[in-house]
Amino acid sequence: MENTHKISFVNKYLFSTDHKTIGAQYTIMGVLMAAVGGFLAYIFRYNLAFPGQNIPLFGALGPQQYNSFVTIHGMIMVFWVGMPVLLAGFGNFLIPMMIGTDDMAFPTLNMMSFWIFFLSAVILLASFFVPGGAFGGGWTMYPPLSANGYMVRDPNFLSALLSGSSLLILAVALEFVAMLMGGINFLVTTFNKRTKGMTAFRVPLVVWYINIAAVIFMFSVGPLVAGAFMLLFDVVLGTGFYDPARGGDPILFQHLFWFFGHPEVYVLLLPSLGVLAEVIPVFSRKPLFAYKKLVYLALLSAVLSVVVWAHHQFIAGIDPRMATFFSIGTIIISIPFAGIFLSFMATLWGGSIRFKLPMLWALGFIALFLIGGLTGLFLGSNAFDIYAHDTYFVVTHFHYTLFPDIFFGFFAAFYFWFPKFSGRTLNNTLGHLHFWLTFVFFNCTWFVLFFNGLAGQHRRIHDYSAFSNFSGGIYQTFEKFSTIGAICLILTQFIFLINVIMSMSKKKNAVKNPWEATTLEWVADSPPPHGNFPVMPEVFRGPYDYSVPGEAKDFLPQNQQ
Amino acid sequence: MNILPKNVSTYGQEIDSLFWLITTFALIAFVISLFVLIYPLFKYRQRAGVKAEYFTGEKKTHFKWVAIALIALALSDFIIMYAEHDAWVTIEGLPAQQDFHVGVTGRQWNWIFTYPGPDGKLGTADDVVVDEQNSELHVPVNKNIIFDLRARDVVHSFFIVNTRLKQDALPGRVVTRWFNITVEGKYDISCSQICGVLHAKMRNYVVAESQEKFDAYIKALYDNNKPKI
Repeated sequence: MENTHKISFVNKYLFSTDHKTIGAQYTIMGVLMAAVGGFLAYIFRYNLAFPGQNIPLFGALGPQQYNSFVTIHGMIMVFWVGMPVLLAGFGNFLIPMMIGTDDMAFPTLNMMSFWIFFLSAVILLASFFVPGGAFGGGWTMYPPLSANGYMVRDPNFLSALLSGSSLLILAVALEFVAMLMGGINFLVTTFNKRTKGMTAFRVPLVVWYINIAAVIFMFSVGPLVAGAFMLLFDVVLGTGFYDPARGGDPILFQHLFWFFGHPEVYVLLLPSLGVLAEVIPVFSRKPLFAYKKLVYLALLSAVLSVVVWAHHQFIAGIDPRMATFFSIGTIIISIPFAGIFLSFMATLWGGSIRFKLPMLWALGFIALFLIGGLTGLFLGSNAFDIYAHDTYFVVTHFHYTLFPDIFFGFFAAFYFWFPKFSGRTLNNTLGHLHFWLTFVFFNCTWFVLFFNGLAGQHRRIHDYSAFSNFSGGIYQTFEKFSTIGAICLILTQFIFLINVIMSMSKKKNAVKNPWEATTLEWVADSPPPHGNFPVMPEVFRGPYDYSVPGEAKDFLPQNQQ
Repeated sequence: MNILPKNVSTYGQEIDSLFWLITTFALIAFVISLFVLIYPLFKYRQRAGVKAEYFTGEKKTHFKWVAIALIALALSDFIIMYAEHDAWVTIEGLPAQQDFHVGVTGRQWNWIFTYPGPDGKLGTADDVVVDEQNSELHVPVNKNIIFDLRARDVVHSFFIVNTRLKQDALPGRVVTRWFNITVEGKYDISCSQICGVLHAKMRNYVVAESQEKFDAYIKALYDNNKPKI
């Protein structure tokens, strides 16, 4: 499968159909978008700590801009960082390598998927520059604010289409199209292109989890795509799907949004958990604890994920009797995920643990997610949610889940697979500095804000001067502390950038299997050529044969007889 | 610094007790889980000549530990569910004794308060409407106040921190909820659902006062509201 003919730059790096190049495109695009999202966070966090002051590198921040920035920050981090990096990035890099094939089932569709994603990001960023600026009604886009927030619909079709809210809806809808194309590819590839001997229960857990995430995504996204287009029609065509004056209902959108919106967090969570399932056994030199049961637990959570959505709407005006059902669903879905995390911890017991960089990120992930998960207990309880809803308690809770998920998950994967896919090694000291500072500054940024939330501080407020309790005193001090933590957290990421640039400027020196791991990607060269394997490897065993008694080496690659 | 702000409503205490109950469970789970995570990092770190144990966790003897932990989690979940159910029903339902009925409507960007007119009924022509920024909703202390919540333009959320009550206000719907403030005073009402540019400035007050003061306030409202000739 050696590719001998010369490929032009455009075909090799821009319109490539190679899954690794597309994976890299998705990852780089995700990292660039994370930089935008991080910069927005810096601006509004600075404003919260020092209200009314000029923000270095930006200037003064008005209320409309503040609302836009918190909205687009949320959108970017979920749909333009989490999705491309965790689902599309990991999926593209890992699935063909781990199941032993040369590329995706539909390489051209895969390329289209990225370029539609790219277009969606351009539309999103362009919305900052239209009259009125980017949409500022919260990332949940609740109508009527998103449909006709000022009670006057723009009668001009074109200027309504070029408004912040319609561009945002369009960008989100295109992003879903891109991820659907990716998801179809992942499923078809995994089902049809596995190498000889790669039976279902020899597939590494991360491939299982990416596929389950793709299935959850496909099942839940339909209603929201429909809902988003109905919203777009309300804005530009003057329909009244969500307008009570014309027989519509704003709560309908909330249901459509959260029917997707809650499963979406599992779409983001599962690929990262899959990464942990690869990293932890390698650095514990032990088989993954309860591998098959972890597959079933994730499948169970996929089923349950569609009966929890209304826990975002406990106080939205739904029938109070309905809330109990969703409260129970929410509590039950915590059980498979607790099982997954406990099994990861059980993998450590009896191991021979090496504290290499990917392992540190994986352990940090578990420690932080523990706080995120347990604070979910408060919010899943519908009575306490009456008080905590829309306060900083919620914001802090989901940053304690999504930040480890997106960033710790990404960095665990990055430090783990970077030698494989680039052929280069990273500086260990800078890597340690990056991990420890990120871990400390993340907690500085967020932990104090739990107290602001419990004090009842409501979110998305440009200026707390109307609320004396929060515009001074201890809670304002906490805001300052958090902002300084956030600035340090952002600056820390430059260590990572420097490390990558330093590494890319060095010669390729990575060995084939630096971590002595068992799965198939480590059989290929570093970096793998186009087509991945000279001869497709045959698989004889499961993915986690570490420290098998009676064997000389403490790992048995999957292709070893 | 108190973790939770001062509670002034009859049902706020139920929310606060629920908070401490969940905190207890969460802290116990946190300490145990942290131990399960950190202890092996010391006990089983790499040592020369020591090989990792081999077990896959598929056997019942191993997986039972995870199963026990999950059952414990499910049990504590259901204890929380059981404990919170009464609070949920109390707050979201309406009390038998209904002392005073007002209308509250969200608009960009203040809360509008509607008091029944001299006929004592809400929704009639003589209702008195207070529609101003930073205005006050006057209510008698220690009385069950029933309010009909509406929104004129976009979704808002009626939030009185000190009563622990929050409820979204929706265009096209009327949501009826209640509160009973037990301590005289003036408390913030905010909007906790983003509602446009000046969402941050949407702040009114609820003033809980003795029946005499409240009656005087209502009388003054009626007097000001008389049609001018």
